Amino acid sequence: MTERTDYHIGGTPPETPGNDAAAGPWPATTVVGSRQPRIDAYERVSGTAVYPHDVSLPGMLHGAILRCPHAHARVLAVDTAAAEKMPGVAAVITAATPGADIPWYERDGGFASTLFDPHCRHQGEEVAAVAAETPLQAVDAIRAIRVTYEELPFVVDDTAALAPGAPAIHDGGNLIGEPRVRSRGDIAAGFAEAEVVVEGVYRTSCQIHAPMEPHGSVARWDGNRLTVWDSTQGVYDVQERLAAALELPRSSVRVIGPYMGGGFGSKLETGKYTVIATLLARMTARPVKIFLPREDCFTSTGNRPANTMTIKIGAKADGTLTAIEYASSGSGGAYFGDAGTGALPAYLYQVANLHAIDTTVHTNAGKARPMRAPGVPQAAWALEQAMDELAAKLGLDPLELRLRNIPATLQAGPGLPFTSQHLRECLVKGAEAFGWAEAVARPPDEGHLRRGVGLAAGMWFYSGGPPSTVVVKLHADGSANLNMGASDIGCGTKTWAAMIVAEELGVPLEQIQVEHADTATTQYATSSGGSKTVPSDSPAVLAAARSVKHQLIGFAAEQLGVPADDLVYADLALTSRSDPSKTLKVTEIGMLGRRGVVVGTGYREPNPEGSFTAPTCAQFCEVEVDTRTGGLRILRFLGAHDSGRVLNRLTFDNQVFGGMAMGIGLGVTEERVLDRQTGRMVNANLHDYKIPTMLDVAGDHACLPIDEPDHAFNTTGAKGLGEPATIPTAAAVGNAVARALGVRISDAPLTPRRILDALAAQRKEA
Amino acid sequence: MLPKFSHLRPATLREALAALDASDARIHGGGTDLVGCLRDRVFTTERVVSLSAIPELRGIAATGDGGLRIGATATLTEIAGHPAIADRFTAIADAARVVASPQLRNQGTIAGNLCQKPRCWYYRGDFHCLRKGGELCYAYEGENQHHCIFGGDLCYIVHPSDTAPALAALGAVCRVSSASATRSVPVDRLHVPPSVDPRRETVLEPDEVVTELVLPAPPAGLRSSYLKIRSRNAWDFALAGVALALVFDGDIVRSARVFLSGAAPVPWRSTAVEAAITGQALDAATIAAAASAAVAGAEPLSGNAYKLALFEGLVAGQLEAIRG
Ligand SMILES: Cc1cc2nc3c(=O)[nH]c(=O)nc-3n(C[C@@H](O)[C@@H](O)[C@H](O)COP(=O)(O)OP(=O)(O)OC[C@H]3O[C@@H](n4cnc5c(N)ncnc54)[C@H](O)[C@@H]3O)c2cc1C
Ligand code: SF4
Repeated sequence: MTERTDYHIGGTPPETPGNDAAAGPWPATTVVGSRQPRIDAYERVSGTAVYPHDVSLPGMLHGAILRCPHAHARVLAVDTAAAEKMPGVAAVITAATPGADIPWYERDGGFASTLFDPHCRHQGEEVAAVAAETPLQAVDAIRAIRVTYEELPFVVDDTAALAPGAPAIHDGGNLIGEPRVRSRGDIAAGFAEAEVVVEGVYRTSCQIHAPMEPHGSVARWDGNRLTVWDSTQGVYDVQERLAAALELPRSSVRVIGPYMGGGFGSKLETGKYTVIATLLARMTARPVKIFLPREDCFTSTGNRPANTMTIKIGAKADGTLTAIEYASSGSGGAYFGDAGTGALPAYLYQVANLHAIDTTVHTNAGKARPMRAPGVPQAAWALEQAMDELAAKLGLDPLELRLRNIPATLQAGPGLPFTSQHLRECLVKGAEAFGWAEAVARPPDEGHLRRGVGLAAGMWFYSGGPPSTVVVKLHADGSANLNMGASDIGCGTKTWAAMIVAEELGVPLEQIQVEHADTATTQYATSSGGSKTVPSDSPAVLAAARSVKHQLIGFAAEQLGVPADDLVYADLALTSRSDPSKTLKVTEIGMLGRRGVVVGTGYREPNPEGSFTAPTCAQFCEVEVDTRTGGLRILRFLGAHDSGRVLNRLTFDNQVFGGMAMGIGLGVTEERVLDRQTGRMVNANLHDYKIPTMLDVAGDHACLPIDEPDHAFNTTGAKGLGEPATIPTAAAVGNAVARALGVRISDAPLTPRRILDALAAQRKEA
Repeated sequence: MLPKFSHLRPATLREALAALDASDARIHGGGTDLVGCLRDRVFTTERVVSLSAIPELRGIAATGDGGLRIGATATLTEIAGHPAIADRFTAIADAARVVASPQLRNQGTIAGNLCQKPRCWYYRGDFHCLRKGGELCYAYEGENQHHCIFGGDLCYIVHPSDTAPALAALGAVCRVSSASATRSVPVDRLHVPPSVDPRRETVLEPDEVVTELVLPAPPAGLRSSYLKIRSRNAWDFALAGVALALVFDGDIVRSARVFLSGAAPVPWRSTAVEAAITGQALDAATIAAAASAAVAGAEPLSGNAYKLALFEGLVAGQLEAIRG
């Protein structure tokens, strides 16, 4: 099969029209690339920013959702009589309520479930909901609903899910789709050619997104017009889904979400809670707010599935890879999540012979959703540790082994060239900044405290692209509004967008206001996911600013009586090249004054044909392991990232540090624990589910951007970063721990328990 | 969501004690544990009696005989930062410092820390387990990586308090009052093992309030310490912890009190470690013997055998550290 630079799934490629003003690369930048605090930092920090969770409307009711406590059950009866009589209760909704039989969870062009499906396939499935005057009354009321369940046999282990006789979660068995195969060359011949072969089985645990703001929405009807405030990564996606579910024209559905408190992929999918809020609001003719309690976010809003990955790599004595065989399995949960991980082993290194297979199965647990580079940090955990094993067997420095296998072209299909790809620079410059050579030359520690360094590389496969439409309005006083549909999910979207306008038009940052993430008032953008907001939307922002500039030049040329191509635009003024005495401030342009504003529209142009865009990275870390207690300290981390042009160095660094923190979670602390006896999650809270704290991440962390604009890709030359930032982290820690201890621990997270168990096994062997 | 209850905040101990005679009234120190239990429906209550406005329960002060009095509502932050505690009762400062997070230490009281409810995830979760009045211990055959290796019997929790082992090691005594009586309970006899009653954590009656903790004057040559190992470096309970209170005569340990956290349903006195070091200099051989003694007779569950190596390593490290 072939892959392409994807920014859409299925159907014809989306597009936006071309731009009127040509947009060549910036010769040099002054604002773009600098360190700028977020333009909304004060609002965020002071608490004046209104997140969906803060929205409070006159007459608003509060909703609560009753969820199935069992891993697998059938709802036989729901008795809401008592709940309906409770004080403050305005509406109760169940599967039996007219209009509530909305199809949910797409499969094969149809749907496999409904909003309140009586067949509850995991703990946390929606059974009923209530709207009441206060949040407490709503919770009291859902507790008063009597549900009769028939408990069904369950399976929460992905291997057991495929065993004969396993409970069927859907008709047709527990395999989700056909296993996905990526294959090229001749794997047997590749291994025959190999002089050294390593094999291993690696496992990661299930990670939960756990964004700071829980999932939730506020819904309000105004006649047949619906307004929804939603904590989402993409307002237009929610609009589309709600319009379909409620059979409304999209124009009647307004979704608003300019501030939102994180998603990491879990808020790409429209929530059942959103639709439930709209139904309750319609039943009561009052606005309804539903925000999920933290426990429900853990069980019912997605996860990064646990994976088991078997890998075999063959290489020649000089380190040239000859073959990779890879098999991964994981659970998509009770619905149709994807647990595939095969992309990274297929593409990261130059290797002619490859066979990678991904198997995804159903279990009676929450559906997997994309989580920050879906599948890739898991694959890196396997691939990059196996590469270190291979390096050890070859007697090569792990850095050197990777440098010998940098892919020249995309390792799939016809072998497309990369628009730009600086994996070598990430490795070499990163190693230099980290002091890799000195660190690996250091003799091993003798006592119970053992230090070790590790590195891992990564690549990301979604590039972004059309459609995106952005509008820039320049006012007669020289200030500007920027209007774009994209969500700022915490990455600093508004800030880099304003920086591009400031760069292009010379408007000071403080005089640029950004309107975004509102389907009624801002322009179409795709969801903020896949690390594609910068590469999809930044060229459209640039094009919109260029369009304004183009128009201003036209007006000024007429006013000054010079040809347009004689004018130079700088610092909000236009000056004739041939006669510098002919000059005009933008605010002196008569046409601008008469019109009040000049409106520029920018579109994202298509990606180039015949090439592939892939951000790459390498991360390095040093750890210290206490062999007595299994305690692991991350001493330092460095991320070297090729994500094309750096737009805002401050938020670029922050993305990298945040990605590392999340990767440390995957590698060291985080793990969903399901009770084997009941299939229920025992650590569905922020205390027992261990997200790393400031004391768990590296005390000393650094970011090294390989700041090379990718002009073959798009006009700003910027590629994605958010997901690459977390891809190699856990694997780098795994490699550092293996170097420190002389024993490889193949299962993540590296808790004291796993470290001590591995050391005990090591002692036994010795 | 919290149940409905009335909240009383009396200004004197006498009023508080009078308010506690209602059968299911609950004492509120800093509330960091109580409110969580109510929200998680571990138990319910109709009346919460706060101790936070009662001046006589506050403060930390030296006693006439060289000991120390710690008021029941002294916060963990106050204790962690108190110079006399850090200097003379080091284990207590060590323990207070590693509890939870700064916010929780600002709010949490020492008495609340001793009387907090277990952290077993079944108990806190939606499982009607034995300790909550049900039939079954879910941990025994379930997810028990954080559970006990000593003293389990029908219930296999570990006692969650960090300060309890330190206070017990230093011989602290709780002063306890009810509307009708006053009594003293040594911290090492405050907690109830499941073999006695798996549904009760302390010997206190519901109407009894811990008013203060009294520490005896430290004997000459006393050194004490507390350290815990956790899977996250802040905001986490002990996987394993050890409080040492050793009286040295030169290099020789004259007497020792050693209590483990993360090991058992109550702060676990390790008489085996005490025996291994009493009368000895802490040389390598003694430390090795003490480390293995720490886990002698342990009964790990299916998922927590790693705690054996962990306690051995921890005890060895802490004995080395205290030897200086
Ligand atoms: C997220 C989290 C992490 C935590 N981590 C740790 C940790 O690492 N180590 C640790 O030791 N603890 C930890 N705790 C427990 C924490 O609640 C205690 O450390 C704190 O000291 C409790 O004090 P409090 O005053 O808030 O107790 P409260 O919640 O007020 O009371 C706790 C219990 O004691 C009873 N009580 C309170 N005062 C008295 C009194 N004077 N007399 C009789 N009974 C009384 C209450 O009725 C209640 O049952 C953690 C708690 C949370 C929520
Ligand atoms: S260990 Fe105790 S508290 Fe935990 S499930 Fe068993 S009985 Fe309940």
